[in-house]
Amino acid sequence: MTSFKLGAAVLRCAVASAFLASAMSTSVFAAPPVDLSKWSPDYVKSVAGTKDFDTAADCSKVTPLDYKGRVTLWYQGVFEGDPDILRQNYKDFFAAFRATYPNITLEDQGLTYNDLLDKFRTALLGNAAPMVARLQILGGTEFAAKGYLQPLKPEDVGYSTDDFWPGAMKAVTWQGVTYGVPTNNETMAFIWNADIFKRAGLDPEKAPATWDEVVKDSKIIHDKLGVSGYGLVARKNAGNTPYRFMPQLWAYGGGVFDEATANPTYKEVELDSPQSKAALQASYDMYVRDKSVPVSALTNQQADNQPLFLAGQLGMMISHPSDYLVMQDLLKKTTGTDTQKAQTVIDNMRYGLIPTGPDGKRAVVFGGSNIHILKPEYVDGGKVDMPAAKALICFWTSPEWSLKLAWVGSNPGNLNGFLTKWMKTRLETTKFLDVTTSMLPYGIPFPALPQSPEIMNIIVPDMLQNALTGAMTVDEAAADAAKKVKDLMGGGGL
Amino acid sequence: MTIVTGQAEMSRGAVPVRTGVLRKIWVHRADYAYVLPAIVVMLIVIAYPIYYTIDLSFFKTPPGLQLKDKIFVGFDNYAAILTSEVFWKVTLNTLTWTIASTALSFALGFAAALALHRDFLGRGVMRAILIIPWVISAVAASYIWKWIYHSDFGIIGAVLVELHILDRPPNFIDSVNTVLPSLIVVNIWREFPFAMIMMMAGLQTVPDQLLRAAKVDGANAWQRFWHVTFPHLSNVSTVTILLLAVANFNSFIIPWIMTGGGPANASHIWITHIYELAFGRQRWGVAAAYSVLLFIILMTLGYFYVRALSGNERKERGA
Repeated sequence: MTSFKLGAAVLRCAVASAFLASAMSTSVFAAPPVDLSKWSPDYVKSVAGTKDFDTAADCSKVTPLDYKGRVTLWYQGVFEGDPDILRQNYKDFFAAFRATYPNITLEDQGLTYNDLLDKFRTALLGNAAPMVARLQILGGTEFAAKGYLQPLKPEDVGYSTDDFWPGAMKAVTWQGVTYGVPTNNETMAFIWNADIFKRAGLDPEKAPATWDEVVKDSKIIHDKLGVSGYGLVARKNAGNTPYRFMPQLWAYGGGVFDEATANPTYKEVELDSPQSKAALQASYDMYVRDKSVPVSALTNQQADNQPLFLAGQLGMMISHPSDYLVMQDLLKKTTGTDTQKAQTVIDNMRYGLIPTGPDGKRAVVFGGSNIHILKPEYVDGGKVDMPAAKALICFWTSPEWSLKLAWVGSNPGNLNGFLTKWMKTRLETTKFLDVTTSMLPYGIPFPALPQSPEIMNIIVPDMLQNALTGAMTVDEAAADAAKKVKDLMGGGGL
Repeated sequence: MTIVTGQAEMSRGAVPVRTGVLRKIWVHRADYAYVLPAIVVMLIVIAYPIYYTIDLSFFKTPPGLQLKDKIFVGFDNYAAILTSEVFWKVTLNTLTWTIASTALSFALGFAAALALHRDFLGRGVMRAILIIPWVISAVAASYIWKWIYHSDFGIIGAVLVELHILDRPPNFIDSVNTVLPSLIVVNIWREFPFAMIMMMAGLQTVPDQLLRAAKVDGANAWQRFWHVTFPHLSNVSTVTILLLAVANFNSFIIPWIMTGGGPANASHIWITHIYELAFGRQRWGVAAAYSVLLFIILMTLGYFYVRALSGNERKERGA
């Protein structure tokens, strides 16, 4: 018996040692490439340009560069609200991939954020999906839960899980299995027009500290200058709406569930909590009581707010650093006296942290996109060329391209992107980028549930519209939305 | 001709003796052979989707499951629809949309047809101009109208404010009270040329000699219209109204692009709601049940349409 126990112990020890050695040599215990605990604009600047990467060499370890194959891709790409530089970067990416893998035929199709999910779902029903799909962060869990996606983790394409934001990895994980790799992660910032603030008697260099102040300042701006104060967005079926309302909801201490906590369980619906109602009330006060936001907020998306802001008709809004470049692109299209007016607005653009709630809580949507490989049975033609698909994903999620494809609108999904020389260039050339990167630690991912797209794109905007149009009171709208979420989670409701 | 052929074949005793329906089918076998390819295509592209939609309407399709894993729920989807407040709101919107769009498009189109039926200088140009809304892409038209109506910097609002008629731009599509009438105006603008063309064609069939005889008999313009022209147009009017009604029940582009059914579902009509349920919320089963209900209504309209056409044929034969 004793000798058996001793033998077993030796065996266990040997196995454990071998496992540890193996694990240490792989990326399982690899440290994140950046120290997330030190995250600040200064830290981001200090690490930029400290490491070189060779994308082709890295990806050749995943798929040889002379590999011959074919891959089809649908991706959530640039849209009308993006600046021209991002369009160019996408063109450069596809050219670089084709040059690096000349024998892989890449058939790519770019779709806008609001169109992609509908088209992708429909294609899946007809087994006509692409081999690879780059989806908004909201979509991954739904398709993983339905069994459409192949397990795929960063290690499968040459990287480590630690190379990516932990919050982003949650969004590609369903029931403990990883189904994709984050391509980019974004947090937005608060933008205001200092000239409008000055003329309204507000401190032009200071953003409202709290959401209550946003409501107050929006009214002051509207009452004094006759222009809209805050760029509220409440359109249904548009990603812009949850990206702007959820930070407000979380800041007031509310939520759809407990997604704003460190370890969410998504069990209790909190849309009708007093805190959630307070956030909805703030929007109601701006839209109905004060009439200090655009009337068109119910049909607008952020792309509609941009020209309003450039025309000096809007005082504040939430958006990406890319909006500064979008304004410059729009400026080129102005003529006559409009050009000077637009230039004044651009000169007076200011970026700051998104305001806090009454208790000092600051939040922003931890957004972005992920890239996935579909199971062959759902793909047009019934086959997936795995080496070609992995080559594409390795290329896209590389430090170089995850950074370049996020250039002004977002941040690299691969944290190594922050170390590259291109990050340094980006910081030097993209005004206000440091503000949005500073918001990253405040980022809260959408609930990692298959029901999230409906909750965020339909139920939450519906709640806003019901309250803002007077179809329901704030209390009724919150209760109605909470009931819809409960019904949805229970598998019922219309 | 086929009957003769059949009789000839029967008399030769080349075929087994058949009676009743089977005999008729055998006699008309060549006719059936001619239409068979069309029937096969229709079975594939129409009958199967209808069968599949009806079948799907008895299943629940939760967001976390694939369609193939659907759960049988019997008539629950129909019950859920018929007991839902949203359904009745959307139904009211659909009826308002269909009746108002159809009636006003027809009235406006008929008036335009009467005006253009007269001979005047520039009639051809006017006719061409009035047809433009019908030939323009519905998608493009919807985007243009969206900007015309825009609540903050729309053209209508800007003009009204500039002329000091209003202090601030009117709210067309961001209000639950005005959104549906605003969309109906766009729909009428787009549809009335169709009614105009149909009625212009109908007006050309009104016998001139009857109108002249009525004039000789002392009938005034209104009496000539009411007692001569209008009766001659009853069939074309019925067909036009039915076609407009079916098209309006099936409308999608204008409300979806301009408002997406909002705000607060105030401009959702059946088709946009079905689309949202299916593609936005993946309630395929509920959307299918909705579609079945819509199918029944449209088939009823289709029945009247066919009857109207048959009535025309009978009259023509009688004439």
